This record gives sequence, C-alpha cells and structure tokens, in this order.
Amino acid sequence: MSLYSSSVKRPVTVILIFVAVIIIGLFSLQKLPIDLYPDIDTNTIMVMTTYQGASAQDIEQNVTRPLENVLNSVEHLKHITSKSRENISVVTLEFEYGYDIDALTNNVRDKLDMVSSMLPDDSQTPIIFKFSSDMIPIVMLSAQAEESMPGLYKILDEQIANPLARVDGVGSVSISGAPKREIHVYLDPIRMEAYNLSVETIASLIGAENRNIPGGTFDIGSETYALRVQGEFKDPKEMANIVVGVSNGGIVHLSDVATIDDSLEERAQQSYTNGNKGAMIIVQKQSGANSVEISNKIKEIMPSLQKNLPSDIQLDYIVDTSDNIHNTINSLVETVLYALLFVVIVVFVFLGRWRATVIITLTIPISLIASFIYLYATGNSLNIVSLSSLSIAIGMVVDDAIVVLENVTSHIERGSAPMQAAVHGTNEVAISVIASTLTLIAVFFPLTLVTGMTGVLFRQLGWMVTIMMIISTGAALSITPMLCSRMLRLRKKEDESAAFKKFYAPIERALDALDNGYAWLLDMCVTHRWKTSLIALGIFVGSMFLMKFVGSEFFPTSDNSRLGITLELPIGTRTEIAESLARQVNDSWQKKFPEIKVLNYTVGQASSDNTFASLQDNGSHIISMNLRLTDPGERERGIVEIAELMREDLKHYPEFKKTLVNVGGSRGSSMSGQSSINYEIYGYDFAETDSAAQRLKRILEGIDGCADINISRSDYQPEYQVDFDREKLSLYGLNLSTAATALRNRINGSTASYYREDGDEYDIKVMYDKQHRQSIEDIENILLYNAAGQGVRLKEVGTVVERFNPPTIERKDRERVITVSTVVNGRPMSEIITEAQPLIDKMDKAPGITVGISGSYESQQDSFSDLATLAVLIIILVYIVMAAQFESYTYPGIIMTSIMFAFSGIVLILLITGTTLNIMSMIGAIMLIGIVVKNGIVLIDYITLNRERGMSIRRAVVDGGHSRLRPVVMTTLTTILGMVPMALGSGEGSEMWRPMGTAVIGGLTFSTILTLLFVPTMYTIFAFNGIRRKRKKMHKALAKKNNANK
Amino acid sequence: MKAIFIAFDQAYYEDLVTDLQSLGCRGFTAWTEVKGRGSHTGDPHYGTHAWPSLASAMFTMVEDDHVDTVLNHLHQLDVETPKLGMRAFVMPIEKSI
Repeated sequence: MSLYSSSVKRPVTVILIFVAVIIIGLFSLQKLPIDLYPDIDTNTIMVMTTYQGASAQDIEQNVTRPLENVLNSVEHLKHITSKSRENISVVTLEFEYGYDIDALTNNVRDKLDMVSSMLPDDSQTPIIFKFSSDMIPIVMLSAQAEESMPGLYKILDEQIANPLARVDGVGSVSISGAPKREIHVYLDPIRMEAYNLSVETIASLIGAENRNIPGGTFDIGSETYALRVQGEFKDPKEMANIVVGVSNGGIVHLSDVATIDDSLEERAQQSYTNGNKGAMIIVQKQSGANSVEISNKIKEIMPSLQKNLPSDIQLDYIVDTSDNIHNTINSLVETVLYALLFVVIVVFVFLGRWRATVIITLTIPISLIASFIYLYATGNSLNIVSLSSLSIAIGMVVDDAIVVLENVTSHIERGSAPMQAAVHGTNEVAISVIASTLTLIAVFFPLTLVTGMTGVLFRQLGWMVTIMMIISTGAALSITPMLCSRMLRLRKKEDESAAFKKFYAPIERALDALDNGYAWLLDMCVTHRWKTSLIALGIFVGSMFLMKFVGSEFFPTSDNSRLGITLELPIGTRTEIAESLARQVNDSWQKKFPEIKVLNYTVGQASSDNTFASLQDNGSHIISMNLRLTDPGERERGIVEIAELMREDLKHYPEFKKTLVNVGGSRGSSMSGQSSINYEIYGYDFAETDSAAQRLKRILEGIDGCADINISRSDYQPEYQVDFDREKLSLYGLNLSTAATALRNRINGSTASYYREDGDEYDIKVMYDKQHRQSIEDIENILLYNAAGQGVRLKEVGTVVERFNPPTIERKDRERVITVSTVVNGRPMSEIITEAQPLIDKMDKAPGITVGISGSYESQQDSFSDLATLAVLIIILVYIVMAAQFESYTYPGIIMTSIMFAFSGIVLILLITGTTLNIMSMIGAIMLIGIVVKNGIVLIDYITLNRERGMSIRRAVVDGGHSRLRPVVMTTLTTILGMVPMALGSGEGSEMWRPMGTAVIGGLTFSTILTLLFVPTMYTIFAFNGIRRKRKKMHKALAKKNNANK
Repeated sequence: MKAIFIAFDQAYYEDLVTDLQSLGCRGFTAWTEVKGRGSHTGDPHYGTHAWPSLASAMFTMVEDDHVDTVLNHLHQLDVETPKLGMRAFVMPIEKSI
C-alpha cells in the first residue's frame, strides 16, 4: 500500500506522527545554542621557538629556515609564513580547510622531531600552538575607578576575574590596564658606592632576610614540638631596618642607601574608557563553549559583582559579542516570519480558499521545525546560515503540497469523493513531485561537499535545505492528501458568502486576464518562433557583455557596531605622549561622533602574563582603541561611513606614523569587516623590498577606494647597546655575562624576593632609583664588581652606542616578504585590482622582486573557482535528473536554457542595485539553477501531456502554457516573496544575505518571464523538426517500398 | 439471475461496494485497476502520463427483479458525476454451480 493511501486511511497515525515530529523539533529548538556562524574548524598551527640572544637575522637563518624547510613537506599545507624577530621565531602553518587539525598537529610534531638536531644547541624546543577562533575575546568589560585605582588589580582579580572564571565555559579572564602591586627598593648608587655595596649584595641580603625556615622537630618530655623561624616581612616597611653592611664601625641599614616604595609596576598598560582611567577585563571562552550562553551568565552575575565592589568602581561593557549575535539572529527570525506571511498571502490569493491555504501552509512549520531536529542531533547551532536556510526554503517547501492539492481539487471537481480524490490525485502526481524535489536536491546536496572557507558556510545550508525539501515532499505525500480528504469539499459558486465574492472577484478577474494575455503572447511567440529565439538569445548575450560592469568582492561588509583602531607613533615614543594624544583623539571623537557608545583605549607595553594583550601588537608607541557604536538601527550613518570619517580625521594628526581603522574589530577576518587586498612583495634584500613597498604604497594612495594603506615591515628600532671590551673585562676579573647581568639588575631591576600578604605574592624588586637611570652617563657610571669586590665603572670596560635593530623578518612560503595591505572602501575590490595591476606591472623594481596578491582577493579567487566548479557539477546533476524524468536528451536541454536567463537576470539586478558579485550572490545564482528549471519542467511536462493526448504541437503549447501559468507564477511568487525580506532587510547583519536575496529575486523574475515565452518556443522548434525528420524517414521508407514493388 | 458488468472510474469503488450491499447484492468480483476508454465520450483511463486515471471493473450477480434497481442506482450516480464515467452491462447467466 502506498504512503498516501495508508495516510488517508489512518489519519490519527499521520497526525500523531507529525505532532511528534513537531514536539521533538520544538524541544530541539529550545536546546539549540545560538551562535553567529557554524563551528569553524581551525586550520592554523603556530610553531614558536625561542633562541635567547639571537638577532632577527640569526633567528631567520638558524631557526626559521630549517624549520620551514622541514615543515613545508607536511601534507595539506596551504601557506607557510614566519616571523623572525629578536629571540623568537614564529612559524605559522596554514592548512587547507576540512582536515582534522589533531592529525595535522601530529604530523607537524613528527617533522619537528626530525629537525630538532639541526637547530642551534641553545635554542629551546619548538612549541606547537594551535590557533583557534576561541582566542577572540567574547566579552570585554571596563572597570573605571578613582580612589581604588592603586588596589584595582587585586580588587578586580578577586571580585571579578575569579567569579567570572568559575562561569561554565569561560576559558581565561585577563585584566589589563590595572597595574599590579610591586615593592620597589630604589637604590642610590652614590651612597652605595660610599658604603661599598652592590645591587647584587643587597638583593641577596633581602632574599636571605625574607624567609621562613622550619627548624625540624624536637621532644620535650612526652611531647614533640615543631621548631621554626618566621622571618618573612609582615610589612614592607620592615625592610628598611635590614642591616646591609658595616662601615666605619657603624651599622648600615637598608634605609641608608635606598628608599622603599610600596606601589605599582613601573611599566604597564593603561586602559581608559570614555576618557576615564580604569582597567579592562577580557573574557575568552573554552574551545567549543557557547558564547551567547556564557555572555548571558555573565550578564546575570554582573549586578551582584558590581554590588561587591567599592562604590567608586564602575563596571561597563566594551564589547559583548553576544549583542551582535542576538541582534543578527533576531533580525533573521523576523525575516523568516515575514517570508512566512508573504507565502501565505500568495497561496491564498491564487487558490482563493482558506481550507486549501491552511493545508498548504501547514507544510511550512512541519518542514522547518523538523530541520531543528537535524541541527540538534548533529550538534549545530542556530546561526546565520541555518536561519537563512529556513528563509530560503520557506518559498520552496510549499511547492509540492501545492501540486498535490491542485490535482486532488481537480479530482473532486470531476466528482470524486474527497477520500478517493486524495488517494488517486496524489498517486498521479507523486512521481513528478519526487522528480522536482530531486532537481532541488541535485542543487543543494552538492553544497554539502564544498570544502574551504565557503564550505563552512554552505555545508550547513546544503544539509538544511536538502532535509527540509525531503521532509516537505514526505509531508506533501502524506499529511497533505490526508488533510485534503478531510477538509476539502466540492465548492459550489452559490456557497460563497457575498463579502468573499466581493473581495475575491477582482482577483479572479485579474488572474483570468493574466492567463488570457499570456496565451495571446505565447501564440505570437510560437508563430514568430525564430524571431523570438533570436531576441531571447540576444538578450542573454547582451547581458553577458554587461557582466564586466559588475564589480566583485569576497564578502559583503557587515555592520556589527564595532571598530578596532590602532594608532602608531614613531617607534620608541614614551607612553605619556601616546596617552595624551589618545586623550585628544578621544575628546574630539566623542564630540564629533555621537554614535560612539563606548570608546576604550589602551596605551603602553603589555606585561607578558596578559595572554590577550601579548598576542596583539603592543608597545609604548602604540595606541589601540576599541569602539562600540550604537545599534545600526538607531543611527543614520553606517559603520563604513563612520570609519571613513575617522580615517579622514586622523589625517589631521601628523604625529601618527600609521593609522588603522578596522571595521568589525579586526582586519582581514574573512567574514565581517571590510575586504582587504594584500600585495605581497617577495625579495631578499631589505632596502630593495622596502623601496618597492614604498612605491607600491604610493601607487595605491593614488587609487580611489584604497584606504588605510599599511606596510607590514616595521621601522628599524633604535636602541642603545653596550659593547664590552673582553680584554679589559678580563683584566678586571670580569666576564661578559656577569657584566651584562649587573647592567640588567641596575636598570630593569632584579627580583630579590617575594612579599606575601593575604595569600598573594608580590615581587620585591631592587634597582637604581629612577633619577639615576635617565641618561647615558648614568649607564656609563654603573659600577661593576668583580669576585674580589673591586669596582670598575662600565665606561672603562665598554662603550654605550646607539644602534638600529633590524625589524621583524617576515617570510611567506619560504621567501622574505613585505605585505602592503589596503582596505577596500566604497568601491568593488575587482575594480581596484584592475586599476592597480598595470601600474604595479610598470613599477620600477629591482630584479628578483616579485609582487603577489593575497588577502580577501585570494580567498575570493579560491572560493569563486570552487563555486564555478560546483555550478558545473550541479548543472550536470540537474540534467541527469530531468533526462531521467522525461526519458529524453532534448527536453532537459530546452528547459536548461532558463538557467541562462537566470544569469542574465542576476547581472541586470546587480547592475541596477549597484550590488557587487560576491560569495553570497554567487550562492544565490547556484540555488537558482534548481529553482528556475522547475518552471520549465512544469511547462514542458504539461505540453508533452497535451501532445500525448493528441493535440497539435501549437495547440499543445498554447493550451499548456495557458493552464500552467498560474502554478508557475504561484510557485515563483512564493519563492520570490520568501526572499524579499532577505533582500530588503535592514537589521543587524542583513548586509550579509542581502546580495543573495537580491540575486535570487532578480534572476528568478527575469528568468521566469523569459522562460514562459522562450522555453515553449524552443519546444515548438524542436518538435516541428522532430516531425519533419519522422516524415522524411517515412517518405524514404515509402519510396523504398514503392521501388521494391516496382 | 443476471450478471452485471460494471466499468467505472476508480473513485467509485468503495462507495459502489457499500451501495450494492444496501441494495441487497452481496456477491461481487472486482478488478480494482483496469484500463479502458468509452466508445463515444469520456477520458480514457490508461494510468499513463497523458491519461493518469485508472478504472475498476466489477461483476455482480443479481436476481432478475433486482436488476432494474441496481441499474437505476448506477445511472443516477453516473448522471451526478458525468466526468468520472460509469457503464454497466447486463448479461444472462446460463448455468452456475
């Protein structure tokens, strides 16, 4: 017994099965985590190797190159890049997407074992470091403080960081901008000299005094007692009384040669929020944890955390990634609901019957909700991709139900009882319903096979739509006939209420007029079939010529209300100067841009224990800003416009050497933010590549649409070096390392011991007083002591010279490289590339220097070629499905001509709306392959049916067109209107799918209009040719027969 | 005893079985899926792409005095829904076991 006849006979079972599906679906929906994108596997591994004391060039030669040579042979490697700077080599391996990162890590580890013997003896074992998106902070909080500033670190660490770290899923919480407590012992070198004391002696004395030593146990009578000396300082002030020496019979206390300062770290990052000093708390998640859930929990405990803080500390959000996720998801949910509404309206207008409308629209929630089960079962989340899949599918899941319902209705109108009509009506169309679903699956299933960055996005889309289509077909063949058998009645005209008639009559008249008008036009086209074909082909070819006016880019820029700004002063600028400039910028922007909700900036060198800050560029001359704007709906200016105004504004500050304004928070992240083009200059010689980079920068500056041009190689860093004379050193009984260590202890300070209080440890640092380490003379006058206790001035054994330290050496694919990157602003990326390329080719450059392009452009090229291959595969699959359905080679060919018009339509609408061709509009085009052929299938199917019933070719075509116009227009309209909310959406994140909606609407509208005229015309041409051939054959056969008879 | 051969659109089948029962004809033999077309009018019932509908056929043995009631009822059904199509033919039965 078939699915539909058993469904009609067992309505209770069918209803309950679908109720169960809906309940499980809703249950899954409730459990589904929310995220912005589907899980993205990491594809990057870093190998870090330290080699203390080696310069950038030494590191490059001795560490980076051997590592690169070996690691280059790891399979699936896409690019190998490296940075060699003083003391450290970082090799970054970028793999092709879609491979198991753990297996790749093991391969890398094996290769590292092979190379370890080739590395210098003193270099450390290379460390493997997997980079993942989890390192991107999910929440950044600011804490503004006044009186509590000195103790802020401890307060935040205990009251905020610890409770936050206990939240499920939080990976690490770091605090920046709140300096830690440190106890300084500032020594006066002049007094020390007088008492014949050295920094080392004092440091070791402090260490020796500040100790608790257990003395073992001893017995008194019948008891055993522990013995111990509790010598640790209970107050830093106690240190003042330490005896550090004897001079002229008197005792020298520490307070005689030093001041003890219980304060904060000398060099720390400072963080300001909206101009007020405070700290920044950065929360990173554990890998695989859900950002929205974590952020919700943080939001929940925030009020109680705030309550425990001293009253002058104010907590506020700088960045909450979940805000963006929430807003984006909400605007998508809105889109899905609008799409639903539009589809229901279309169905009602065309069918004019509420019962039929209810039956058809029921398939929408069933298929949509069932897809949540898939998401839950496979551990996916509600994200941009899964939700936009729903929006795409809404218009298509009703198609099968419409076909079934229409045929059942025609059976009822012929006189069948609804029960029988439902079974037999469904039976007749079941095959074609399944075939049309197969054509769509032929389009969407291959999407699940895409690899690479685009694969991450489209795999889920492919699965979701495929599953929804299968479920909707299942529903159309089971619950739809069941409901038809129960709900549909033979409708008599006189049964309709007067109000309904009044409302529906004009619609009916308009639809009739449309049918007749189309039949007339089709008749004209079929009469002038060669002319029609030529015009249609002309339109197609013409539109392809317009293609070159459509710009292309990788991903549309989305407005997530976040800006990341990096401002660089000349290298070596003091933090105080950077701070005052940052304040100026802050004050002027707060006035100029009322859209700024929070402006946070950080200056100064990050301490090494701040994981987040040390991953970013930092230094005393760098100002990094994080801005949060008001929600996109609440402001007039878009984020790109604001970014552009900021870039303009920054030009008024000549102090800045480099300014970077990054939309979306960071540059070059593939899915949000503005696209960037990276020109890579390969060449060994520093000077030559530097000058090529400068020239390239000037070329780009002259091109409209390039903003924020940045050269990756930083300036040579000025520094003072002490050149010791080894002979002189040995004369005084010193060696280089004792001398250098002594230098370090005096300037950087040496950690003598730790001061313990309330379970926390604070460094006790011994160093020269600030006023004695401010000039080169101070350095030259440093006294170095030898083992015999004799002192010698540094200037007698060495000289202080100013030198420039070579910058970080960057390499890519085993060659030295400089990257000149530019943000694409207000112009399609492809236009900039075509304008810049001839200039770059003409550019003067030394032999051996080559220029390549990477960044968004490279990803775009990769993805576009992937998608083009995919399109070809899909076209072949769709052809196979159709050829099987019609058992013909020609009909599918005729039907597929509608794909040409879909592409024409896309080109036209992209031109008209000024949209660029990007990944999203490409994917729209690919989806269209399946959607537009459905119209052709419906038409050709009915025309062949008419011919099989004995009509002439022309009548079959015109009559077929006339009677199939409504179903074609109806299913097309449901799909188009389902996309309209996507194409017009203005919510957060809508920039992302707007191009896709636009492409589908343009392509489908244009193709449907032309398909309705061109496909029947082509059919006529082929059918007449077929008949002519048959006649010829017959004539020949007859002639043969006649000859034989003669 | 007469034999009535009824050829009709599939859709009638279940109603017909109940109707005949109420008219006092218990026995019948039916083929639920058969193909055919009318001599003058009506759509062919072929179960093909062009003519997807199918017909059923039924033999029922009726006492002589029942024949007219049954034929009348069938005719009435046919008049109500002319598009479905139904024809009945009465034949004599010469012998039976």
